[in-house]
This record gives sequence, structure tokens and C-alpha cells, in this order.
Amino acid sequence: MPPSRALGRYLISLALLAVPAARAQEPDETIEVEGERPKGSPRAPGAAGTVIDLAQFGGEVRSVAELLLTAPGVSVHSLGGPGQAATLSLRGASADESLVLLDGIPLQGPGGGAVDLASLPATLLDRMIVSRGVLGAQFGAGALGGALELLPRAARSTWTGGAELSAGSFGTRRAAFDVAMPMGSGSAIVALQGDRTSGKFEFARQITPEIAGAPYYGFARENADSTRGSGLARITQQVGSETAVDLLLQGSAGTRGLPGSAGAPTPRSRQSDRGGLAGLGVRGESDGLAWSARASGRVDGIEVRGLQAFGDCEDGTPDCPRLHQTSSSARGEGELIVPAGSSQRVSLRLSGGGEWVRGGDMGAHRREVLAAAASADMALPLGFSLHPALRLDKVGKDAGVSPALAAQWRPEPGHPLQLRTAWGLSFRAPTFSELYLERGGVAPNPALQPEHAWSIDAGAEWRTALLTLSASVFWSSYRDLILYQLFPPGRVKPLNVGQARIAGLELQVVVPLPGRFFGEVSYSFLDAVNRRDGHSLPYRSPHRVFARLAHRGDRVEGYGEMSFTSALPRNAFDTAFVGRQLLLNAGAGVRAVGPVWLDVEVKNLLDDRTLEDVFQYPLPGISIAVIARARL
Amino acid sequence: MTEENTVKRIALLALIAACGGKYQAPPPVASIALPDGSQLKPYDPAQPGKARPQGLAQAAGRVYVTLSNQRDGNPFPVNAGPGFLAAFVPSTGAITRIDLGGVDGHQCQNPGSVRTSADGYLYSACSGDFSGSDTARAIVEVNPLSNTVTRRAAIPDGRVPNGVAVTANKIWTGDVRATTTPRPPTVFSIDRSTFIADTAAPVPVDCQKTPNVGFSYVADVMTVGSDVYALCASDISGELYRLDPDTGTVQAHTTVGANPTELAGLVDGRILVLNAGDNTLSLVTPSGATLTSQKILTFASGTAALQDVRAFGHIVFTVASASNTAQRIDLDAQGGPKVVAEASFGTGAGPYNILPLDDTQAIVSNRGTNTIAAANWVTAQ
Repeated sequence: MPPSRALGRYLISLALLAVPAARAQEPDETIEVEGERPKGSPRAPGAAGTVIDLAQFGGEVRSVAELLLTAPGVSVHSLGGPGQAATLSLRGASADESLVLLDGIPLQGPGGGAVDLASLPATLLDRMIVSRGVLGAQFGAGALGGALELLPRAARSTWTGGAELSAGSFGTRRAAFDVAMPMGSGSAIVALQGDRTSGKFEFARQITPEIAGAPYYGFARENADSTRGSGLARITQQVGSETAVDLLLQGSAGTRGLPGSAGAPTPRSRQSDRGGLAGLGVRGESDGLAWSARASGRVDGIEVRGLQAFGDCEDGTPDCPRLHQTSSSARGEGELIVPAGSSQRVSLRLSGGGEWVRGGDMGAHRREVLAAAASADMALPLGFSLHPALRLDKVGKDAGVSPALAAQWRPEPGHPLQLRTAWGLSFRAPTFSELYLERGGVAPNPALQPEHAWSIDAGAEWRTALLTLSASVFWSSYRDLILYQLFPPGRVKPLNVGQARIAGLELQVVVPLPGRFFGEVSYSFLDAVNRRDGHSLPYRSPHRVFARLAHRGDRVEGYGEMSFTSALPRNAFDTAFVGRQLLLNAGAGVRAVGPVWLDVEVKNLLDDRTLEDVFQYPLPGISIAVIARARL
Repeated sequence: MTEENTVKRIALLALIAACGGKYQAPPPVASIALPDGSQLKPYDPAQPGKARPQGLAQAAGRVYVTLSNQRDGNPFPVNAGPGFLAAFVPSTGAITRIDLGGVDGHQCQNPGSVRTSADGYLYSACSGDFSGSDTARAIVEVNPLSNTVTRRAAIPDGRVPNGVAVTANKIWTGDVRATTTPRPPTVFSIDRSTFIADTAAPVPVDCQKTPNVGFSYVADVMTVGSDVYALCASDISGELYRLDPDTGTVQAHTTVGANPTELAGLVDGRILVLNAGDNTLSLVTPSGATLTSQKILTFASGTAALQDVRAFGHIVFTVASASNTAQRIDLDAQGGPKVVAEASFGTGAGPYNILPLDDTQAIVSNRGTNTIAAANWVTAQ
């Protein structure tokens, strides 16, 4: 972080004795707090955004998926308990329509589709920024619901380090270490995280669900174990007075059971995956111009064993082949930021590269990815600002234009009120899986066309030292949605047949309280309609509420939180629903010795063992974790 | 109390709460294993099949269940041997196997539905490998008194039989051969005296589907009273057709729920249709030249993948393979039809078909666990 920015944050924090997002000061540590959260992504000014600062969650065992649920407009589809696959949905868009970027590098799941959030290590991150809306102009084709930016820990110019160990229910363990140091003319950081869980938890089901009040019976979850290791290295070097080079390396590997649904478990199905990315960038300033260039590459591999279209099977037998798939990408990009007068600036961005996929059920395919984008930030009289953006994307045979326009208004500089509105239009090219995957009951469709969407939203924010209140309403329209349809004989095939309208409301209240307490509440309303028949889109919850009260003291810390999700449709006809879910979590900790903190965390305090995800995968009941951490 | 003590107390309480199971284990399920593996004459002894039971019928005091005799394949199940019928005596559990495959074992594979004719014979549709070109497609006739195959009707090329409706002169079946270019689903007939497929053109029985790309098929064909009914299914809709039992001429049709899987006749001539797509039960009333349909029940959300419906008097029985359950429904219940009892067949059972023995007892075929089981009802209060 540039010294000037750090100083500014420090001064702000001193002015605000209530420091909501601060982590506790360690002995002999220079306190670094955030008195005011960043408002959103620099790449999408004027868009609805939420910044999740991971420092707020010290002493808590959190996955990326759990952290995301603190933000409005976000829902996570999890396949079961800890370590199992989880995907992101923004404003009701599918996981394929929500981009995930690590330090600006787009991530992709197997076959180019949804990213598995469980494969992303939370402790290696510094912040997450959730930007909502059709944001193809700002982030690239595919961002029809929005984008999630993962910002990894930054290198530091002094020796610092930290460690975290935790152990808890269901054989769940985590170890995480990081060390930052000066290096050459810059700095470096190395961070590691390891996770393991046996996944053996008891869950409860009614075996006769038609009978009101029928008893629940206990079952043990099997084959839900997970083991994962992740690492991050980052080196920043200053080259001359105005130029810096940044190297980022990240890797992750894991294995887990694929337990199947509660009614039809798959005890023999397993998955292993590994992946990594590298990015080498250089940035600088000269003659008032800010510029940057970066080359990046990513490789991911996945292997699934013991799984067939209609259940599990014995790995190694002729009728039970393994699924291998490797996807990769490489791209180079450059950005130029040109000031235009005293209050305007124009950004130009060019990128190009390719994507590759290879697998037994897909064959080998590649496509080029090219983009050119321009955006401007224009300060206008009377407190208005305007943020037009335009991007051209070419993804293989599919090309399209993504325009966007955002406007903001503030009565005067420093005024707590800000109004904003944004409009965007974009497309999503089909994934490799949708185009080429042929496995089990799934047929490929190389003739697929891109999905298209546009959205408009408006919001208001009131931001003071004692209260931050934000509200957004949005309306979005989707066409040519790729849906899997029955395809003879006995398979499904992706086709451009869907049309949808999704509207909603997002509220967030953040309140610093006396005594180093900090409260926040977020609410999301979603009205997702299939325009073909007027029914609700399945798997979208109309109402979601998250509330959290946390305390960060010098010697004691703790939190309590509530997450409520209303019943959501489970079929396309509004006749089957997943029940509403209420989760209460709490944790507390003390600084035991020097910089060492000991925490206890309890999740699902009500011990509700009847919870299931949308695909009827059971979720765990009460769990306890003991966490020890230290930071020097 | 200090803050540290508070933390310790919370931790202790949480630890106590997290220990110990608080739910009973589910009750055991009584079931009878069906013949498997080498008992089903596998073509390759190294790759035997499993029973994979499907249709159920009652004849000569026994329950008959079709055995698909398949092994799990990639991407689809593979016919591992000839199709079988298993004759089961409910009171004793004794099972007799009836090989439907003929002398070479390839004249019937993958039998699905089985129905009893008015004169007491059993008829089963063998779908083969669904290609529409194999020799394992057939309608077989079985004498339940001798438990032997008495006749076999070959299926014309390009068609795959599914469902059986036996009338005095004809045997009607649906064509479920799927083609990559969607075409209207059809039913066709076999002359019951010659046991040869009629040369008349198949009868289209289509239903609404997603425009341009949708796919529809014949879910079942069944005799109710003196009429033949054919059920068309698609992902978004369903249509029930009443056909002339001799000519197949469409006499009436009505729209039912989405993705219907089965139908059942009531003694008063009305027809029940089970709609898996929208989790509902439709009641269809014939009146002169018309059929009218109304949804009379929406199943609870936990009851998923509805597969079969049968009736005994005013009592209706259904099964759902994803929730491994069967339901007992009283059509005359106060306030309208409702589920009055439900049975579970255990995790992974995958019940596919149900056969009422009377208005309280029913038997299911479990395709997942390769068993047959009697319903042990949990009654609504």
C-alpha cells in the first residue's frame, strides 16, 4: 500500500474512536485500522458494491462462501457441509453469470463455468469486493449478475507474520501461516492454508415428509470428507522511482468425497482437483499518465471417480471411467489512465489471450479471448459525476459490445448523502462445458449462442461516522438463457431458450457502536420470474437477512450473527419449496498471551440438523471450533 | 463475572450442546431381495446385471414384477441379460423367475410395464436398448398359471414399446423411440389374435412443449374400463388422450400437469394422472366426448420424483423415487383428497412402481436396492 494512503487511513481512524473494522491492537504493533470501508470496486464506480474486509473476521473459521453471505444481493449454493462445492449467485443470476477474479485475473471452474468457492482459501485474502449489476463493460463478458473481486494479501515493507490454528467438530482442522518481509527494493509475502474435515455429521430427515409432524430420524453423513492445501506468494519490487513490478503466484489442491443427496447417497464417488495461477505485472506513472501491463496464466485440473449419471459406481471398472478435465488460460493486458483536465480521466484497456480445455468427455478445444475497453470518470458541476464505459469482447466465435453508464450525485464534497444510478448491457459466451461436454445424460451443443442481459439500478447511501445506510433497487432482463432441456434419447442438452426478469431490493446498515461494538444488517429481496410462463425461477430465495454484532477489544473479542433465508422454489412450477432457514452463529475470544488469541466459535447454535441445501444435500447441525491465532 | 469467564462458560455450554445424537436411527425396512447377478443369466458372467425391478401386476394370486436385468453403464444402463418376470407370493415370499428372453436370450430385454388382461394373461413391453433397431423389443404374453411365455410379438423397426393397454382385440403400446429431430410421440397396436403389429399408421398423441426445442414422449398407455388412454409427457406439460380401443382414433384429450409419469383408473371411470414436473395429482373426468382435468393434490416439497400411481376403490397409492416413499391418499377425505399415510423404503431404495393388494396394503418395486417391499404406513394424525 502506498504510504500516503496508509497515512490517510490512519488519520481517519484516529478521528473515529469507534473503529468498526479494526482488528485489535497487538503489543508493540502499529495500529492499522479502517475507519471507513472502501465503497466499492474502482473498476465499477457508480455500481452497487459491497466490500468485505477479512480483518473483521479474525478468530473465526470462515470459508469464502460464508464471508460472502454477509453482503446483500449475494446467495451461495452449497452442496452440503464444509469443504463441499459452493457457487456464487449475484442478484439471482446463475453461477456461470457471476465473474470471479483473483487480483483481476478471471477464474473459471471446470469447463469454463462456475467457480467452486470451496477451492478458494479465505485466509490468503485481504478483501473481497462484490459488485452487482450487468457489469460486462467494467469486468468483461460474463458479468451478467456482477463480479466478485478477490484481493489477496498485499506484500508489506516490514517483517510481519501471522499464524492461525483451529480444530473443531466433524474432524475439521485448519492451519494457516503467512509472513511478509522486505525484499530487495520492495517486499514479499508468502501465505499458506491447509484445511481438513472428515465431514461426518449427523443430520435429521423426515422419512415420511407428506405426514405433517412426522418424526425426524438421525442419519450420519458419509463420504463428505475434504482435504485442501493452498498457497500464495506475492513479490513487489520498485524499479525506479515511478515503476513497480508485481508477481503473484497462487495454487490450490484438494480432494473430497462427493456424498450425493440425502435420499440417494453416492458413497464411492470422489473428486480431486488442483490449480494455480501466475500473474506478472508492471505499473507506473509518467507525465501524469498511469499505466500498467500484466501477463497472467491459469491452469486447473479436475478428476472425478466413481460417479455415473444415475449414481455412484466402482472406480476402476469398465463401466465406471474417470472424468479428467484440464482447463487453462493465458492472457496479456495493458491499461492506460489518461487525465483529461482537472476533473476527468479516461481509462483504456486492451487484453488478449486464449482459453483451453481438454478432457476425455470433451475433447480438446481452444478459443481466443480479446477485449478492448474504454471508460471515463467525469466530475460534473453541482456534485454530479458520470462514468460511461464501453467494452468489446470476442470470446471464440462470439463477439459483443457491452456498454454501461453510471451516474452519481452528492450535494457537496463530504456530504453524507450520495445517490447513484447505473445501467449496463452485456452478454455471456457459452462455457466449454455447455458447448462440448458429453457425459452421462448430458449432450453438447456447439451451436449455442451467447446469453444477453441488461439491467438498471438506482441507489442511495448515507454515510457518516455513526451510520452507513445504503439501499439499491434493480431491474434486469435476460434473454437467450442457456437451459438444459430434455434431449432424446434420455439426455439433456443446453439450449438458448430461457427468458427471465429479475428485480430486487438491497439494503445494508452499518453501525459503529460504543465500546468497540459494531453492528451491521443486510437485507436482500429478489423477484425472479421466468418470462415464458410467469412462474418463479427456481433456487432463488425471495428474502435474505443477515445481521451481525461484533466486538473487537484489546483483550476480548466476540460476535453473534443471524442469517435468515426465506423458503425458495425448488421446481419451475411454484409447487415445491426448500424451507426457510435460520442460522445463528457466535464466537468469543481472549488475548491469552502477548499476541496470541484464543477463540471459540459455535455455528448453527440452534443445532438445527434438518437443514438442506437446494439439492437436498444435508447441512450440519451445531459445530464448535477452537481457534488460536497470533500476529506479529 | 469477567469477560474471560463468560467466554469459558459459553464454550462449555456449546460443547455440551454439540455432544450426543438427538435423533433416533430410522426404523429398519423389511424387504425381499430379487434375483440378481448369475441368477439372471448374464450374457457375460464377468459383467452380470442387477434386477432393477420396474412394473408390477397381479395375477393368479401372485404379484409379478418385471426385472430389467441391467448393469450400471456409462452413460446409460446396459442390458446385461434377458428380461425377466419375477412371480412373488406375498404371503410366503417365494419367488419364481420367468425368462422372457426366448431361446437365444435376446428376444426380450429391459421389460418395463406389465399388465393383466381381462382374461388373466400378463403382457409386458420389452424396450430393448431404446435404439429402435434391436431384436430385443417385443410384447410378450405370459400365462400366469404355468409361468411361461406363450407368445411374443416383434416390434416394427424404428419403434420402441413402452406401456401396455390390453383390450379384447388389440394390445396398444406407446412408441418412446427418441430421435434427435423431435417428432410427435405416437401409439400403435398389435393384433391380439395374430400377435403381429398392425400396419395402420401410428396414432400421434402430442403435448405442449418448449417451442422449437422441446421433447415429448409417451409416458404410458393403459386400459381403463373399455377405453384406451395414452399419456403424453413433456418438461412443461402433459396431455391425456382417450382412444378408440379398436382403431386408436382420438376421442378426447385434456391437458394435465407437467411431466406426467403415470395414470390409473378408478372404478367409476375417472382417471388419475401423476405429474412429476409440478408435484401434483390430476383427476380427469370423462363426460361424453370430453375429458376435463383438475389438480386435486399438491404433494409436499419433500416428496420428489413421483413415479407411479394406482388406485383401490377410493384409496390412491403413489410412489416417489427421490424421497424413497409411498403415499396412501384418500380421495373422499373431508376437505378433499389428502395424504392419510406414508411409507418409507429406506435411503437409496428408489421405489418405482406400486401395487395395491387392498385399500391398506401395497407392494413396491425398489429399483435402487433391487427389492420388493410392503408399505409400512405412518398415518397422519
